[in-house]
Amino acid sequence: MDVLRTLFTLMIFPGGLFILFNGMVYEWADRKLVARLQNRVGPRWFQPLADMLKLLAKEEVVPASVDARLFIGLPVIALAGVLTAALYLPIAGLPPAYSFPGDLIVTVYMLSLLTLCTGIAGANTNNRFSLVGATRTLTQLFSYEAPFMLAMLGPAVAAGSWQIDEVMGYAAEHPVILMQPVGFVIALIGLMGKLEMRPFDAPEAETEIVAGAMTEYSGRGLALFYLGRYVELIAGLTLVAAFYLGGIQNPLDYFVKTLALLLVLVGLQTLMTRLRIDQTVGLWWRYGTLLVLLQWFVTLLLRS
Amino acid sequence: MSTDGSLSGKRFIVPIGPQHPALKEPGHFSFTVDGEVVTDASVRLGYAHRGIEKATESRNWTQSLYLLERICGICSHVHALAYCLGVEKLAGVEVPPRAQAIRVLVAELERIHSHFLWLGVAAHEAGFDTLFMYTWRDRETVMDILETLTGNRVNYSANVLGGVKFDVMPEIGDTIRRGLEFLEGRTHHYLEVVTTDQVFLQRTRGVGVMSLEQAETLGVVGPTARASGVIRDIRVEAPYAAYADYPVQPVLAEAGDLEARFIVRIKELFESYRIIRQILDTLPVGELQTRMPRRVKAGETVSRVEAPRGELFYFIKSNGTDNPERVKVRTPTLCNMASVLVTAVGHQLADMPMILAGIDPCFSCNDRTVVVADAGGAAYNWEQIRHYGIAFYQGK
Repeated sequence: MDVLRTLFTLMIFPGGLFILFNGMVYEWADRKLVARLQNRVGPRWFQPLADMLKLLAKEEVVPASVDARLFIGLPVIALAGVLTAALYLPIAGLPPAYSFPGDLIVTVYMLSLLTLCTGIAGANTNNRFSLVGATRTLTQLFSYEAPFMLAMLGPAVAAGSWQIDEVMGYAAEHPVILMQPVGFVIALIGLMGKLEMRPFDAPEAETEIVAGAMTEYSGRGLALFYLGRYVELIAGLTLVAAFYLGGIQNPLDYFVKTLALLLVLVGLQTLMTRLRIDQTVGLWWRYGTLLVLLQWFVTLLLRS
Repeated sequence: MSTDGSLSGKRFIVPIGPQHPALKEPGHFSFTVDGEVVTDASVRLGYAHRGIEKATESRNWTQSLYLLERICGICSHVHALAYCLGVEKLAGVEVPPRAQAIRVLVAELERIHSHFLWLGVAAHEAGFDTLFMYTWRDRETVMDILETLTGNRVNYSANVLGGVKFDVMPEIGDTIRRGLEFLEGRTHHYLEVVTTDQVFLQRTRGVGVMSLEQAETLGVVGPTARASGVIRDIRVEAPYAAYADYPVQPVLAEAGDLEARFIVRIKELFESYRIIRQILDTLPVGELQTRMPRRVKAGETVSRVEAPRGELFYFIKSNGTDNPERVKVRTPTLCNMASVLVTAVGHQLADMPMILAGIDPCFSCNDRTVVVADAGGAAYNWEQIRHYGIAFYQGK
């Protein structure tokens, strides 16, 4: 029975199928809301699902000049990484499937795996757009990753634990968003960087480099990368909501808080122009990192 | 993918086009980049050559009008206008003032729709899709006006040789005024957006700067030139049609960067609104057409009009028959193209689509000839290629 339970946890709920569908629904909500704000009609409710089914059913073209094992393996690793991260999160408002002291570090690391895989996947191909896109993806990774991680660790420092469950317990009792407002903003904007949402979509700026690192991907590989991004959207929203918006206690709590955050992301996406990659780096290192470090300093002072 | 400069070599060339999401029409740009910084740029045009100039020679004067109107899908009216003005000059025909005023009216409406379209495209290149969608929604207003007025949204077919096809009734005038009122409000809003949105300004201010001297040297035309402080506007310099009666105040900017090009084009919209209102208020009474001879006297002439993108140049030669002997068209994009290559160097790759969009390029309008860089064997001359073509189609 234990094996069956583990399998259920990994494949159906909260990992696996549930989070994939959850991700697709949120992706649809994101696209639909952005479209409505932009005076467009937007996709129908099943569009992300239809896209995924179509892509998964299609032939995956492996370009001649790539390392085929990497080319096929990277999307799998990327998706596996974010799905693993999701296991340590209170998805759908239920307690995390797994938990151990220090799982926060593992989760944040696993969430970066997707971007890293995207970068390597781009660098693996011989396509110029992919190479430029890969450079940008990795450059962007190095710019937002540190501040994002620091922003995620901020509440952990205040709670005095590296375990997501315990930080969440702390967040439920303390108004973290008021104690660390800078951290909240950085975490949210860092999440946009992670998901390559506008204004941080320079790595896949279609008017410059077509699809960036993803240019050579088609069929299954592309679908897996997309699914990875959907899951990351869910994981990121859950993490931010759990740490900064007073924890996630029940399913209603979960949907209300993550959707509220999604709404903020939609608004920002609609308002912004794409930043150049040098502007992105400048923004993060000149302001983001310094501000979040200052926040840390204040948090540490208050704690002692 | 361009073939010169391998990946292992020192030169890393990012090809944009002929098929690329940034381009709505085919054109090929090779940007040599060092990291993200562009160190060299070259362009290859001619992918959309359609042989329209040649085709006019086998059509009569009236048929050629419809063909030439289809050179551009955005500024169709100015092509027909330039052609009509040239042919009328050759034939020595005096067009009634009411017709000339209506021609200017349509030309200015077309400028509004073209500038709105450009604003959206440029915003899209910068990754500001919200502005893109909003401007194109508002552009529908002027498209509807044009449809109400002429019956068509794109190729209005307003001109005939010797006049215009339709009259502007007072009730249509009210529709136009209502539309303009709405558009004017929106234009004020967009002007505010492109001059105050900090994120957007980061992408436009100081980007693609072209000094007055450079603009003079490169011979740029239209809003691109005016954004660099060059007063170059055919409507002002050599008023045609009814522009002498409805004088235009040229809109100038000094900075020469992308922001200036946005400001110039948006402010020109206000000028267009003003002229259209003035025409509606003081439309001369009289005939719409004069009689045009079927054959045009032998001779040659040049006709210039200010298209939304800049100076549109027509050379027309007649040999006294009912077909033109030669029609040569030079569109503003060709004049402005060199400025892209010059201003591109030193900027980031990310700025390239915007710098390119900054001149409001229209590729298929400016493509006049095909240059085969390497034919891989013997080259044909004109006679040989003609015979080859005839033999090819007879063999089918």
